[in-house]
Amino acid sequence: MSFRGPGPRPGGSPVLWLYLHFPHLLLDHVRRSQDATGALAIVDGAGQGVVQACPTARDLGITSGMRLKTALGLAPDLNILRADAKQEAWLLEDQARWLYHYAAHITLAPPDGLWAEVSSLQKLYGGLPAIWQTVEQALTERQLTAWVAIGHTPLAARLLAHTGKGECTADKGHILTALGNLPLQAAGFDKKSCTRLQRLGLNTLGEVFALPAPELARRLSPELLAIIQKIQGTRADPKAPWRPPHTFRQRADFIQEVEHAQGLLFSLQRILAELEEDLCWRQQDTDTLLLVLQHRHEEPTRLRIRTTGPEHRAEVFLKLIQLKLDQQPLRAPVTGLVLAVKRFTGREAPGGQDLLGETQDLNEAWHTLISRLQARLGEQALKQLAPMDDHRPEHAWSAGEVRKPGKRQDSASAQLPHRPLWLLKGPRPLEQTPVAWHSGPERISGGWWDGQRVHRDYYIARLPGGELAWVFRDVNDGWFIHGWFG
Amino acid sequence: MSELLSSLLQDARIWQGHKHRETTQPAESTGYQVLDNQLGGLGWPRGALSDCLLDTCGIGELHLVLPLMQRISAAGKTIFWLNPPHTPYAPALAGEGVDLDHLVMINTRDQGDFLWTLENCLRSPVTGLVLAWPGKLASRDVRRLQLASEAGGNVCVLFRSRRFAEQNYPAALRLELAPGEHQELKVNIIKRRGSWPGQRCSIALGHRANIAVQDSSRVVQGPWPEARG
Repeated sequence: MSFRGPGPRPGGSPVLWLYLHFPHLLLDHVRRSQDATGALAIVDGAGQGVVQACPTARDLGITSGMRLKTALGLAPDLNILRADAKQEAWLLEDQARWLYHYAAHITLAPPDGLWAEVSSLQKLYGGLPAIWQTVEQALTERQLTAWVAIGHTPLAARLLAHTGKGECTADKGHILTALGNLPLQAAGFDKKSCTRLQRLGLNTLGEVFALPAPELARRLSPELLAIIQKIQGTRADPKAPWRPPHTFRQRADFIQEVEHAQGLLFSLQRILAELEEDLCWRQQDTDTLLLVLQHRHEEPTRLRIRTTGPEHRAEVFLKLIQLKLDQQPLRAPVTGLVLAVKRFTGREAPGGQDLLGETQDLNEAWHTLISRLQARLGEQALKQLAPMDDHRPEHAWSAGEVRKPGKRQDSASAQLPHRPLWLLKGPRPLEQTPVAWHSGPERISGGWWDGQRVHRDYYIARLPGGELAWVFRDVNDGWFIHGWFG
Repeated sequence: MSELLSSLLQDARIWQGHKHRETTQPAESTGYQVLDNQLGGLGWPRGALSDCLLDTCGIGELHLVLPLMQRISAAGKTIFWLNPPHTPYAPALAGEGVDLDHLVMINTRDQGDFLWTLENCLRSPVTGLVLAWPGKLASRDVRRLQLASEAGGNVCVLFRSRRFAEQNYPAALRLELAPGEHQELKVNIIKRRGSWPGQRCSIALGHRANIAVQDSSRVVQGPWPEARG
């Protein structure tokens, strides 16, 4: 038999595929978002039959395929979640994302499986058992149930995984024997072909393999032959590699609605830990998180969590989210949340001193402090001042967003006459007679160009209380205090 | 003497009425020799609260901390202004040589936010100086701020009304500020760690409005109409 298809690499080992079958992905996903108590079942889109049942539910006698009415009869307080194709697709992509940390060539097998090409990884990990172990460990960390199998073709791996008895072996003969023992029903043929094969007296896949190929094509269908050859590896079955998206998006769904912000932290912790891992793996940072809280009857709440500088640590994000949630109580019970990151920045090389002569630690501490303050007080509460080129005192300064001090720029401010350190928020009528006049008048006239005309004579005067004030007389002979020489 | 006891005496945490000891508590020079002399040659205590009590703005209270602001902004540390009563005027500050990039203004909505912010600023290693206008403070809050300040080791100057002068108050340094006849600032030390209170000094601050000392002859004739009112 000639080996075609993806084929052996020149001088390398033949291609091997690892297949992960997630028997109840949605269930795992929901259960790790909330340490829920009580039985849980996933029902199909129509809401008629049980698709997946959690161990507690299975103990109560609920099995997949059971009618929902029967299941409710067995467990009246059964928690029910409806399967959603779109959500399942998202979930599968999530799994591909973490698997991508371990393997480069991944292909999605909707609705509940993933392929990873592993033969090229053997050298990296030091053998097939090491790869197997790594994947199993990753699954345990993420509290996921998956049936793993290795096959010499994608379909072989998939069929073996579906049995739940996959073995860690690279031996093609061994794999083919295991495949041969599979009953026809487990081979994934369509129902019609399955019946016809059974009528021919064939019961296992091995018996079908033994038939001559031309006979098979003539008696059954060319499509069936193609499938069989793809299982055996005599026909090419190329799989396009999956590309990870350039965004991070994770969601948690709650069976029991969460009424207090505290209840969200549990799942946020997990998601943020995954975000940190993801960012570390990308060697990137981010400064904006988008948190969407879904409610049953209301529009989702959208929270934007911003850090002032690039950040990747889960604990920092968690603290900021906590502050934000403290400030903004939940409008309604939360049924699910989505955390998304779309903006990434390259990570700076750690350690050493940067151009400003600051250590990385101080730089980070600055960003942490400012982010914390902004999260609690709102971004508008923090301001940085800058002088502006304008002769009118109230326009000669501006308050802007806080940013990390960059390179020092020499402010080319013209040498103005003396200015007070305090400027009042608006001119205040001068009610006391000054006891002394120290300088003036300084005429400031301008603003005809933007309609905010100013025509004043400024003086420095001492008020009876001893304070030095910056006072002016306007065109209508009114006297005002505009600043204090603090 | 036990090590603990000697360190307590050394840091002037125990008040010894009969002895004026040179203390080694960390401090930042105020930039005014007259005042430094009155403060045991040290200046603003670091890692402790300083309380400035005054009646009105415009008597030179910002100039009192200006030399420190200049030094700290030049050193690249951040200066926080918490709930200032008016707008710190950027052109004037820049003209005095304060690097505005290191100034952060914060306005808080309520007292809870104020205390939280102040505590966070005090604890951070990036902070060099915190200027705060707190209004009324409970003794309990002050103690909490004092601890935060000790943890951060920063200079914190609180500006408050003189009517709080009588209040017993656990700040390390308390100064009463009053304007003098010739634009100087009269400083009365109400409390200082490790020493007797009651020292007074006056700092010439006429230059803040470009007025030379003892320059009463240059007082311009006011345009104030005498007949008015």
